[in-house]
Amino acid sequence: MKTIGIIGAGTMGSGIAEVAAMAGFDVLLYDAAPAALSGALERIRENLRRPTRSGKLSPASATAALARLHPQKQLKPLGDAEILIEAAVEDLEIKREIFRRLDAIVSPQAILATNTSSLSVTAIAASTGSPESVIGMHFFNPPTALPLVEVVRSSYTSDATLRRTVDFAIALGKKPIVCHDTPGFIVNRVARPFYGEALRLLGEGVASVETIDRIARLSGGFRMGPFELMDLIGIDVNYAVTRSVYEQFFQEPRFRPHPLQREMVESGRLGRKSKQGFYRY
Amino acid sequence: MAQRRVLILGESPLTEEYSSLFAGTGWQVHMLAPRKGAGGATRQPPAKGVTYVSRIPSGCSLALELTVTDRTTKKTNLNLLDRALARTIPMASSSVTVTVAEQQSWISNAGRLVGIGALPTLLNGTIVELATSPRTDATSASAVSEFLKALGKEPVVIGDSVGMVLPRIIAMLANEACFALNEGVATRSDIDAAMKLGTNYPFGPLEWTERIGIAFIHAVVRSLSESFGEDRYRVAPLLQRAAALGMLPG
Repeated sequence: MKTIGIIGAGTMGSGIAEVAAMAGFDVLLYDAAPAALSGALERIRENLRRPTRSGKLSPASATAALARLHPQKQLKPLGDAEILIEAAVEDLEIKREIFRRLDAIVSPQAILATNTSSLSVTAIAASTGSPESVIGMHFFNPPTALPLVEVVRSSYTSDATLRRTVDFAIALGKKPIVCHDTPGFIVNRVARPFYGEALRLLGEGVASVETIDRIARLSGGFRMGPFELMDLIGIDVNYAVTRSVYEQFFQEPRFRPHPLQREMVESGRLGRKSKQGFYRY
Repeated sequence: MAQRRVLILGESPLTEEYSSLFAGTGWQVHMLAPRKGAGGATRQPPAKGVTYVSRIPSGCSLALELTVTDRTTKKTNLNLLDRALARTIPMASSSVTVTVAEQQSWISNAGRLVGIGALPTLLNGTIVELATSPRTDATSASAVSEFLKALGKEPVVIGDSVGMVLPRIIAMLANEACFALNEGVATRSDIDAAMKLGTNYPFGPLEWTERIGIAFIHAVVRSLSESFGEDRYRVAPLLQRAAALGMLPG
């Protein structure tokens, strides 16, 4: 595998493109919006500038990585890629449409991966004529720093697709973990009680935001307490993930969001990015 | 000044940790325990500063009741202490699976009972959670606070609620990991690895369950389930099975 395609040049798409280019892959980066493409290239250039200045990355390596990035305004040229990673917005219909279009232009051996964090890989796969080639590659934000990739196999995914995707993730320098296509996969599902129970403890008046965070850090050994972490992730983002897992499990009470989350979002207290969340910044 | 004496009751992974902490800070530790341990095994010889006793000795200035998994035993132990100890002696009781208020309803001198909470293997953390009820008298609460400080721990006061703070959060993470494992979402080691890589947790939730003790985690989830009566807190079938087996399958 030498050439890969990425669909969507937002935060995740450009992050994955940077990782792949640095790992020696030629990257065809597609976005329908020209501004998104130029923005992504600018971000990557900026990201590579810092390690170059500090001597961690040679200017020649940075230049070579940048030369491996090929922005595309059309989808058609991505037909040459051996693996394609879709990183568009989290909307099932939009993703299914992208996969239908990709299915028509890629080679029969190509792997079609989606970076969805919350949608069904199986439902996306079903929109193509070759669902056995479709798989989830859930990168974590920012992909340039976080090593985990959840490799999500749907009920259609072939063993060969799974094996090649795992190898590809390793070639990117990532740590692939294989899981089945179930709501929230592993991390977004199993982590829910960290936030959910903290919110309920707060709501029940058992302890304050600061106390719960301190106990989690000093007694539990967590790097950040649940409220600090929600402020960092974005309370809106965390709320959206919770709702998505909750709804996909047909209102399973274990994943029920807390009214406080909605209140924070509706009042614009989103965490660090809005200068106010559970803490002030 | 005479050496201070503490009496410790209750089979828990925390029993050894507390007794060595006390002994290490110059207390004489009395452990009220049958001569034979679990399964009839002869007990390990006690550590320096620790003695096993078969009846409650006089001269103790503090008692600890650490039972977490068995309510009946806890009730019996608290009653035993309450009857034998002078009424001014504070009792610190692990309140992870039953509230301070409920424990106080079991004994005559309710005001002396103060709730404490920490997780096994996490006593090396710096915090012990401390809970009281409106019936707890201030002198007992401050006495328990003081002894925790003397052990090098910071008592952090929280409300009186089953699961307390950290045990509730970690037990529910473990419970969810057990649901995911049971449903075949990923292998046991992959669930642990994903959580450490994806969230920076110090341990994967399943290995953490084993470190803390399956019976302990199971007791916390079961108590939350009974206390709230909500489907949210139902025990994962795999955790239920693991508690019976004494090991996590997979």
